[in-house]
Formats: sequence, structure tokens, C-alpha cells
Amino acid sequence: MTDTTDFEAKRDIAELAVERYKQGRLTRRGFIAAMGALGVLPAFGQRAMAQTKEIIVVNWGGAAADILQEVLCDTYTAETGIKVTVDGSGPSAGKIRAMVESGAVVWDLCDSGAGSAIILEQQGMTEAIDYSIVDKSKVLEGTAYNNGVGNYVYSYVLATNPKLLGGAVPQTWEDVWNVKDFPGMRTFRKSVRGQLESATQARGVPLAEVYDALGTEDGIKASIAKFRELRENIIVWGSGSDSQNLFLQEEVAIGNIWSTRAHLLKDQMEEGTFNVSFNGGVIAPGIWVVPKGNPVGKDEVMKFIAHGQKPELQVEWLEKIGSGPINPEAAALVPAELAPFNPSSPENLATQIIYNDEWYAKNQVSAEEMYVDALIN
Amino acid sequence: MPRVHEKVSYWMLVLPALSIMVCFYILPVLGIWEIAFTEPETGVGNFVKMAGSNAVKTSFVITFRVAAITTVGCLILGYIVAYAISNFATRLTPLMVALVILPFWVSVLIRSFSWIVLLGRSGLVNDALIHAGMIERPLRLMHNELGVLIAMIHVMLPFAVLPMLTNMRGISGIYVQAARSLGASEWTSFRQVYFPQTLPGVLSGALLVFVLSLGFFVTPALLGGGRVLMISEYITYQIQEFLNWGLGSALSVALLVATALVLLISARFVNLRATLLERK
Repeated sequence: MTDTTDFEAKRDIAELAVERYKQGRLTRRGFIAAMGALGVLPAFGQRAMAQTKEIIVVNWGGAAADILQEVLCDTYTAETGIKVTVDGSGPSAGKIRAMVESGAVVWDLCDSGAGSAIILEQQGMTEAIDYSIVDKSKVLEGTAYNNGVGNYVYSYVLATNPKLLGGAVPQTWEDVWNVKDFPGMRTFRKSVRGQLESATQARGVPLAEVYDALGTEDGIKASIAKFRELRENIIVWGSGSDSQNLFLQEEVAIGNIWSTRAHLLKDQMEEGTFNVSFNGGVIAPGIWVVPKGNPVGKDEVMKFIAHGQKPELQVEWLEKIGSGPINPEAAALVPAELAPFNPSSPENLATQIIYNDEWYAKNQVSAEEMYVDALIN
Repeated sequence: MPRVHEKVSYWMLVLPALSIMVCFYILPVLGIWEIAFTEPETGVGNFVKMAGSNAVKTSFVITFRVAAITTVGCLILGYIVAYAISNFATRLTPLMVALVILPFWVSVLIRSFSWIVLLGRSGLVNDALIHAGMIERPLRLMHNELGVLIAMIHVMLPFAVLPMLTNMRGISGIYVQAARSLGASEWTSFRQVYFPQTLPGVLSGALLVFVLSLGFFVTPALLGGGRVLMISEYITYQIQEFLNWGLGSALSVALLVATALVLLISARFVNLRATLLERK
């Protein structure tokens, strides 16, 4: 099985905090502290010195490490007295495996993806999640694995600029493919991730049947053909900031972009020039995994995961960086003006499907090849 | 003092540069060749896959087309500039040469971003045209091949101007004067007397621009909108998105071979030694 964890998406979330800082939502001190911590591993040194209980949580760095520290870790320390430190060195499946195999495990909890979580479980590199401590009902359905549990979500959403479209805003992916009624440039990711699902819906396939329709080679080809059909109107985005720039510079009127970027754009674009619809969107969860034989012990980590499930903390996470709460209960606490941008609100959940890692593990490589071919050939 | 043999002393002068090239260029390139034939398994699998892929073929076609058009554009514009500098702008020559070289001081990245500011949908060019009432809707000047070509011609222009300029400044005005005094028209004397003398400069400019364009990355990636996928960008895509070092390396080997072929074929028509080495 191929590891299909979308590391780029994770790094992108890390980058977002920089923009929050620019907008004045992060304190200068917090920002500098996070930047100072970049690229060093202070956690290890401190750990060896003080033999006290400490949980090391690893994510993808950047200033997102700071948000994680502030929102989940410091609050846990305040509550329990147990120190929790974020290390932003990027817990790829390869690194976790190397660490476990070498017997020198220094990480307690890692921000991974469903693809990695499944592989690591098969290889026996992770601890089982203890669902007597971690509450299964406090994560989205389908994100509670044996050896991994959801921690936040982000979505691929339909973003539009009504001003460029003359007020006529596409509501469905079929509309997006309707160039006659909705003229203008579209942007899609330079990868089939979260994009092929849109093209499949544009074929008229109902949302719930998208991955079934993509189950055969012919099904994939038919969806790819939709991109070939639309390609004269497509500009491709490579990184999250690309997609943001395309909207800011009014290069595109419509796009399939990350909800986390949409979260920034809603504040940056003028009133009435930016809309987000989760209709037909694809929602992807981040997954906590615990490396086998983690130093602080399994129970301590489980308690921390449970702490992170608290709705109010999840909402704070959404406010600060745009990652959606994994806990469905959090939706009720989200401020009204943010609710439309919350990937996991009940209204938005109802219109999305969950990113299917198994499908990607099986088909992504060949689909990517066809996708590039459709765009340029 | 014992006299070092002349040949040995020449080699010693070349040695520092040569060793850097071998360590940091030739060896890594050989490493890439090795990866191309060994990952994921030993054999020519990567090349078979490459030959079977339509996307790769199209990408090669795009690469050569963009490089060729860029070369022609640079030669036409560059020839005019070089001609004007070497024949007319006597007092202004230093200034003109400085203006040609000036872009080298600005990073390619910045120059490409500047084109984004100019050519965008709500960029300076489109805004100016709309306000002047010449167009109603913004023109699509970038995120397509046109944008890539405009920016690439701009970036590559100095590489075309400089060899031609060196060549033209070495041409004595006497020949054209002689032709004119013998009754040739201005056009005939240019075409039959001046132009043939500038050919070595034109050809070395052409080769330089073409070969550099083949491997160009930044500008197409920024201005192509993802649909002008040149080979170098395709290589990045394979390696970054899929960690597919095998295919990525095979592609770069193919690009290298293709470039070498261009040089070989042009060697059949042009005396490369005279063009590149003995320019006077």
C-alpha cells in the first residue's frame, strides 16, 4: 500500500499561522517564540535533564506548532500540571517507523494522516487507541481507527468570487463545469487529491456514490475526461498560497481549494467578492497516532488526546488557524459568523464526503498521470 | 627554479575549476543516471514507462516548442539591439550595454513575479487597455503559453544580445563601405556583406538561448498556470509529489540526451568550434 498522507496539506496548515500573525491575530511574542523554536529540538534536551513526566507532541512545524502548544498543550498543563511540549519536526510515517525500529522512541503523539495511520498499524508501529479513555463519540464518524483517531479536519471546498461572475454563483460542481452560464477561470489543485471527486460529481454522480463511480478504470477515465473538457478554463494551484493568490488577484472566479485557505480569504477579500460552499466538498481528517513504546506511557497520552477533544478547545483551534473541529459537539459553540466556514458543522458535513485514503492508496499514482495528460495533452 | 613543463602548468591552472566541476557536477549527474536505471528496480523500466506516457511526450513537445519560439524571439529582438548598439550608439554604447546586462542583477524569480503584476487579469497592461477603451474584457496574457513566452524572451534576451554584440563589434565597417562605394544598395550591402559576417554571433546566441530554455524552470512554473508543463517542472512534480526519483531521474537523463542531440545536429550545420570557441 502506498502512503497517501497529504504532507503538503499539513505543511500548509503550518504556514497559515504566519498569515494570522500578519493579520494581527497572533501575538508578536507568540510568533517570535514559535519562530525561535523552528528547526531545533529543545524537547529532547530538557527531557534528559529533568526526569519529570512530559508529553512530546509532534506536528508539522511552522507557527502551527505554536497554536497547538497554546490551544491544547498549555491548557492541559494548567489543568494537570503535566508538561506538554510541541515539536514541529514533521512526523512522517518513515520517521515514526525508524524511531520505533531503532528502539529510541522520543515522541509520544504524532499528527499523522489516515493513510499513514493504516500503514503504521499494519506494520505494528503504533499503539492501539484506548477508547475507554478517548471518547469515540467525540470524533467524526469514520475517523476512529484502531491505532489512530481524528484530531482536526480540513476540506476541499467550492470557492467563488460573485463579483467576477456577475452575481451568478455556481452552487454545484455541475455548475462549475458549465462554462456558458458561469464564464471565468477556475482553479484546481495540481494533483487529483480532492479534485477528482468534483469532476465525478460534474458527471452527474450523486455525492454518496462518488468513490463507487471511481472504482473502475473506466470510471476514473470518465472523470479525468471532465478535466480535459474544462481545461481551457483551468489554472492549476500548486501550494495553498498559490490558490489564495489566484483569488486575491482576481485571476480566477471559481476554485476547488482548502477550507483553511478559504478561512483566510474570507477576511482578505472585500465584502461580496468571496463565497465558500461545502456542497459536494471532500473532508479530510488529521489523525493522532501514538508510536509503539512511547516514553511517557500509553495512558498518559490517551488522557491528553481526550483533553484535546473538548469542544471549546476545538473551536479555538478553528478560530486561530481554520482547521475544523473533529468533535461534532463543537459545532454548537462556533460563533455564528464562523459557522459557514466550519468544515464539520452539521450543515456542512451533510453535503460532504470523507476523503477515501484507501481509494488513493490504490489509484492515485495512475490517476495523477492521467490528470496531467488531460490538462496538457 | 625548475621549469614545469608547459603542458603541466596549463593543467594546473585548470585543475581547481575542473575538480569542483567533477565533484559537484559530474559525479552528481552520474548519480542521477544511476538512479534512473536502478530505482525502483534495476533495468530500463523507467524509460519504458516514460516512452509509453502521453503526458511526457506532450511535455517534451511543449518544452521544445517554447524553447524554439523563445530563441527566434530573442534573436530577432536581440539582433536589432546589438546592431543598434554596435553601429549607431557610439556615445551611448556603455549605457546601452549596461542596460542589457542590468537584468542579470535582478533574480529571475523577481523578474517573473514582475510579469505577473504586469500581465495579470487585473494587471497593469489589462487595466491600461481597459481604461483606454481599447478592450472591454481583460485579455488572457498569462497562465498560458503566451505569458510564458513573453517572460522567457525577456529573461533570455541578454544571452542573445551579448554574443551577437561581441561579434558585431569585431566587424570592421570598411566592408559595408566598400560595398556601398561599389554601388550596392543599403539593403543589399547589409544582406550580402554585413549579415553573413554576423552569423557566428547569431548562431552562438541561438544555441545559448535554446539550450538554456530547454531546462528552464522558474518562469514557466510561475506564468504557465500549470498547463505549460515543461520537462523541468514535470521532473519536480514527479519527485516532490510522488517521491518518484526513478522516473524523475530518467526524465532528466532524457532531457540531457535531447540537449546533447541538439548540439550534435547543429554541429552538422555549424562549425561549433568556430562559433563557440574562436569568436573574435
